[in-house]
Amino acid sequence: MELRDIVSDSRHVTIKSSATVSDALVAMIENKTDFLLIDRDEPNDAHGIVTRWDLVEGPIARGLDLATTSVMEYARKPLVVMNNLDLDIRWVAKKMANEGVSKIAVFDGENFLGFISDVDVLKAAASKVRKTKGTKK
Amino acid sequence: MNAKSLILKDVVKTFELPTIQRDATVAAAIRMMMENNRWSLLVPRRNKTDAYGIVTKKDLITKVVAEGKDPARVKVKDVMSKPLVILTNLSLDLRWVAKAMANSEVSTIVVFDKGDFYGYVTEGCILEGMYNALRRAKLEQGVDFVSC
Repeated sequence: MELRDIVSDSRHVTIKSSATVSDALVAMIENKTDFLLIDRDEPNDAHGIVTRWDLVEGPIARGLDLATTSVMEYARKPLVVMNNLDLDIRWVAKKMANEGVSKIAVFDGENFLGFISDVDVLKAAASKVRKTKGTKK
Repeated sequence: MNAKSLILKDVVKTFELPTIQRDATVAAAIRMMMENNRWSLLVPRRNKTDAYGIVTKKDLITKVVAEGKDPARVKVKDVMSKPLVILTNLSLDLRWVAKAMANSEVSTIVVFDKGDFYGYVTEGCILEGMYNALRRAKLEQGVDFVSC
């Protein structure tokens, strides 16, 4: 299975870099998503990303005041990107492990295709197992 | 940083890296680095769905020399980083290029421009870029830049 088979859709929610952790929490819950893309401030700036895990592990676990803590302190910036759609998902998983992230932005040339998450990789691996089992029977 | 900050395009180097087979020994990799005067080597992929790897002087020093292993016995495939760390936005501020290196703990990042291979950026490129910007700023002020 290759990277192009698991890129699902480019749906994502964006917040401003000036947002607080509580803004981010509200945006995540209301949009039923587990990550947010953080907009850049100027053209030379990088996009950032913050996941549910970043918020739980950081400000929430430390008992910080969510309304005053800036989301940027716990965001990952710049994004981890991949642009080779022929890559086996094994290498996608390896990339996630190397970089310690769960979301990777996928580009085809200059077009943004979407984010792949650890769940997408897991689903792909599971369907592969099912397929091989089916052929044996 | 000064008013006009540096971007990735200012520091990226457009050269081709020498390639080394994944089954070659680390000793051969060191020799190839010396001969080509490049401190990173590309490891080609075996088929279309495989990923490229890269082996740098940092890999060799931390994973072979510092561990007390014999360079003639260790294979390149055991110390290389794979898949490559890439950046695709040429107008990225230099700060975020450095941050990407720090986040992923690599010293060579492969740069693509809209899907096409463009070049490499290493920690040396970043330092060089900063140094040149510093020197330009000094010259504009009319001060002779004295290097240490």
